[in-house]
Amino acid sequence: MPKFKRTLIPISGVVYGDVIYWATIVASVMVVVGTVETFLTDYHVIQPGYLLQAVLEGNSISEIWEGSALKEIPRGHWYLDILPSGEGVTTAGLALGVFGVIPAIFISAFFLWRSHNVFFAFLAVVAGIITITSMLGIIPLPVG
Amino acid sequence: MVQLFRKVPELTFLICITVIAYAVIEIAAKSGTEPVLGSFSSIDLIIISFVFSTAIAIVAVIAGVGGGVIFTPIMLAFTSIDTLIIRSTGLVVAMFSGLVATGPFMRKGLADIKLVFFGAVPIIVGGLAGAFAAIFLATHLGETGDAWVRLTLGITLVLIALLFIFGGSNTEYPRPRKVDPLGQRLRLRNTYWEESLQERIRYRAINVAFGGFLFFFVGFTGGFFGLGGGWAVVPVLNLVMAIPLKVSAASSGVLLAMGNAAAIWPYLTVGALIGIVAAPWMLGQVIGGIIGAHILATIKAAFVRNLLIALLILTSLKLIARGLERLLKIEIPIL
Repeated sequence: MPKFKRTLIPISGVVYGDVIYWATIVASVMVVVGTVETFLTDYHVIQPGYLLQAVLEGNSISEIWEGSALKEIPRGHWYLDILPSGEGVTTAGLALGVFGVIPAIFISAFFLWRSHNVFFAFLAVVAGIITITSMLGIIPLPVG
Repeated sequence: MVQLFRKVPELTFLICITVIAYAVIEIAAKSGTEPVLGSFSSIDLIIISFVFSTAIAIVAVIAGVGGGVIFTPIMLAFTSIDTLIIRSTGLVVAMFSGLVATGPFMRKGLADIKLVFFGAVPIIVGGLAGAFAAIFLATHLGETGDAWVRLTLGITLVLIALLFIFGGSNTEYPRPRKVDPLGQRLRLRNTYWEESLQERIRYRAINVAFGGFLFFFVGFTGGFFGLGGGWAVVPVLNLVMAIPLKVSAASSGVLLAMGNAAAIWPYLTVGALIGIVAAPWMLGQVIGGIIGAHILATIKAAFVRNLLIALLILTSLKLIARGLERLLKIEIPIL
């Protein structure tokens, strides 16, 4: 048996991880609820059968959305406008999971700054600002 | 595995509600029951996607690469789905296992938050620069230039894989002989508990400035070619900065998830991320990501190394094949 197994784990890392972890769990529940709603109710912006068929046939984004009740490609945070529908709840769940990174970065930056890691707190704030600008659509970020 | 379900009740909860939800949909669906691909209905495809995604997530988290490295080439090769939809869903696959694994990795001290932020900013900025450079150079370099760079990258990956092969166990727990002044000034050092050895492992980063430059380069090539950075972050952390392999893999997953979280918003805001298509992939990544994170903590570092070597070689084969195809105007029947 080891004498001790404790190592110094920085709080900035733990809060970053926990905020993202729980945001992702909540987001997953929303995605499950949205999926069930999509298939079990009649309230659709876009029929799931048509949608998957169109995707598999290689239709473009514009062709797919033109066949929906919206009749055109949605822009911005469109899923919030159709939130009661299954598609709205599912996409909002995905967005929530991604959004969790933003508060996590800033909370982590605060704890990094408190632990005198000013350089890394600065890097965290820069990463956070870039992510927010991407979310607001100010600059496109085709990274990944 | 039973122990894991007891230790992580939220994992059990997620698996239960997902399985129940899919069972209910399969039995009582009002739409999506008609065949859309062979004899498979929309619902069947969603369930198959979920199972496939869970398996990808477990492998991706253990190796520290984004699941997109596996997902995107397969979808591009075998389906006629619009590339924009594949790329956006690929980002979901690349990101959510890393996002959910962030929690266990940070709590266990396997991922290093300082390394994550140190790598994230150059990768994001490099990705942006690469994307703009791609638009500018596409007209000048054309297909031949693209082929040469793919070929060079493929050969580079083979060389990195060889470094892991011949570096042996030195790559699992590197012991740097020199002291890096910048690393010391930034206090880029830490300790983690190695479950498989039952001992604490100390590490400190070296070649910090060069590592930062390489992160920028990784981001640049990712943005330029849409490759993603999963193939290179672990080698930079482990081989260049002397970070233990498990910490490199865990930090790489966290770092890539952060970068991809910035990259996915433009897809989301132009309707290119279709919820019902991405949903099963996301759920599979979350469930597989939690399982993978707990497996990584307990397995031997040698297993991580072997898995990484296999993935590097597979990715390099794909790159070399695509490069040769474009240069020689031939078709190579490879993924």
